[in-house]
Amino acid sequence: MSIILNIKDLTTAYYVGTRKEKTLHQNIFAEVQQGELICVLGLNGTGKTTLIRTLLGIQKKGKGEVFYNEKPLKNINIRDLSRLVSVVLTDKIDDSFLKVFDLVATGRFPYGNISGKLSEDDINIITYSMILMKVEHLNDRVFAQLSDGEKQRVLIARAIAQDTSLIMLDEPAAFIDSPGKIGIMELLKGLTIKNKKAILMTTHDIESALRYADEVWILGKNGEFETGKPEIVTNSGLINEYFDNEEVIFNKSKLRFEKR
Amino acid sequence: MQNTRKIPLLFLALSVGVVLLFLLNLWYGSVLIDWGSVLKALVGSDSESTNFIIVNHYRLPQAITALSVGAALGLSGLFLQTLFNNPLAGPSVLGISSGASFGVALVVLTGSFMGIDLLLPGLSYSQLIMVVAALIGAFAVLLIIIFVSSRIANIVVVLIIGIMIGYAINAMVGVLQFFSRSIELQAYVLWGLGSFSKTTLSQSITLSSTVFILVGISMFYPNSLNVFLLGKNYARSMGVNTQKLQFSILIISGILISVATAFTGPIAFLGLAIPHIARNLFNTSNHRILLPAVVVLGAFIALLCNLIAKLPGYDTSLPINAVTSMIGAPIVIWAIVKRAKIKQA
Repeated sequence: MSIILNIKDLTTAYYVGTRKEKTLHQNIFAEVQQGELICVLGLNGTGKTTLIRTLLGIQKKGKGEVFYNEKPLKNINIRDLSRLVSVVLTDKIDDSFLKVFDLVATGRFPYGNISGKLSEDDINIITYSMILMKVEHLNDRVFAQLSDGEKQRVLIARAIAQDTSLIMLDEPAAFIDSPGKIGIMELLKGLTIKNKKAILMTTHDIESALRYADEVWILGKNGEFETGKPEIVTNSGLINEYFDNEEVIFNKSKLRFEKR
Repeated sequence: MQNTRKIPLLFLALSVGVVLLFLLNLWYGSVLIDWGSVLKALVGSDSESTNFIIVNHYRLPQAITALSVGAALGLSGLFLQTLFNNPLAGPSVLGISSGASFGVALVVLTGSFMGIDLLLPGLSYSQLIMVVAALIGAFAVLLIIIFVSSRIANIVVVLIIGIMIGYAINAMVGVLQFFSRSIELQAYVLWGLGSFSKTTLSQSITLSSTVFILVGISMFYPNSLNVFLLGKNYARSMGVNTQKLQFSILIISGILISVATAFTGPIAFLGLAIPHIARNLFNTSNHRILLPAVVVLGAFIALLCNLIAKLPGYDTSLPINAVTSMIGAPIVIWAIVKRAKIKQA
């Protein structure tokens, strides 16, 4: 299996303008392989989104380097990067006339020519992505009017249409009811198995992360960074160490949080 | 996708409408000229005849001006609404039309001090001076806006600075007005009401060719603008250099607004309303459709407004801004209410 993303000794930090306000995590070593589903876990405010933004080059990084297919991020222009990684962000999209099809079609932008017309291949890939995410029937609906679950599946379809080996998702299951959450996790898992996509997603839904992920990355409150297979981080007590508090404790055998 | 067949039909209908309205604008006016004479005047060489003068010196430049300004303002309105992700963005928000007003105010209101009294009857180049002054004023503000946006990536800051420049300039115009003679004041107020009928034939051709070139350039941007609808971060993740895009869009719309305002004065509501009408009519926010749509629709509505302005049939027509505002304001209200409803759903 090929390594798509390789993170070497990365420091993430929070910046205000160009001034470093706070270092969040140091000594991050991790890699993402083809066909892997990786969940980044952490409590609110630990810097999950910052990590994603740093990996994408949207946010300045501290020391260290990020490699895509062995090429350092700083040497990859945004046009080339857009053919390596696609994203599902939490940014609000509220245009009142934007149709689902047109939104998914934007995923083809990195491959477009100057005339900007969609080719037959483009349309096939767009349709295929929508079928994979079970949103083909929403084709002509206005995106802003969909339910949160439908919106999230459309956004994932857009990322698939971008045809990258790695998809990064920031909190794809937030604001979605439990059946919808499981549905999305199943679809993402399917993408890694059937389509050999690598998926890196942040989540605070620890229970479904442990159930579906091939590997979890844990971001601690005080700058710690740990990685491991779900069973290992569970059994070794890492989950308890990072997420238990005075009232709640993680039950390793039932894979869920319970009252103390 | 269901309306894919409807779209070419709509374009066809609008284009036919533009041609018809253009001809109606040549035909209709305070002096009745029958269709045969209109045609004869257009192709004829009898430059002494009254019909020739009315059609070629008055109605033709007016129709060309209306068509070009409608297209220019519609296009710049769409650009700015997408760029700022704001339904209320329009040509006035960048302060460019205020810059044009300031240029005109300076020459009209202080002209007598500087020895060029633009209001002397028979001064043939006074109108040209006003056009040049407006253009300089507009471009000066555009340069400031471009300078700011090259320093600050945050587009909302650019928007706020544009609006503030507008306020500051209006205040300066107010001071100039306070110290000017009433006859000069009247000339300035008249300019501010806007008019499609001040341009000569050669000026209207200059205007329309500038707009034509910029419309051509705009047609290279539909895909980047579609991606931009998802926000800056998504656009970036798809390989769009967002800063460069913002910059180009500001320059294109800035030149469109500057040129249009210089020749006609500030025209209210067209730039704001046309993109809304286009989105509703074509039921899409896809810029591959919207970009040509606002051009044709802009030409259509401006020609229609000009025709309505001429309806009273007296020697002079209604101020064009009265017509555009009466049509534009309800449309914007309707579009905003509809948008709010969509968001609630």
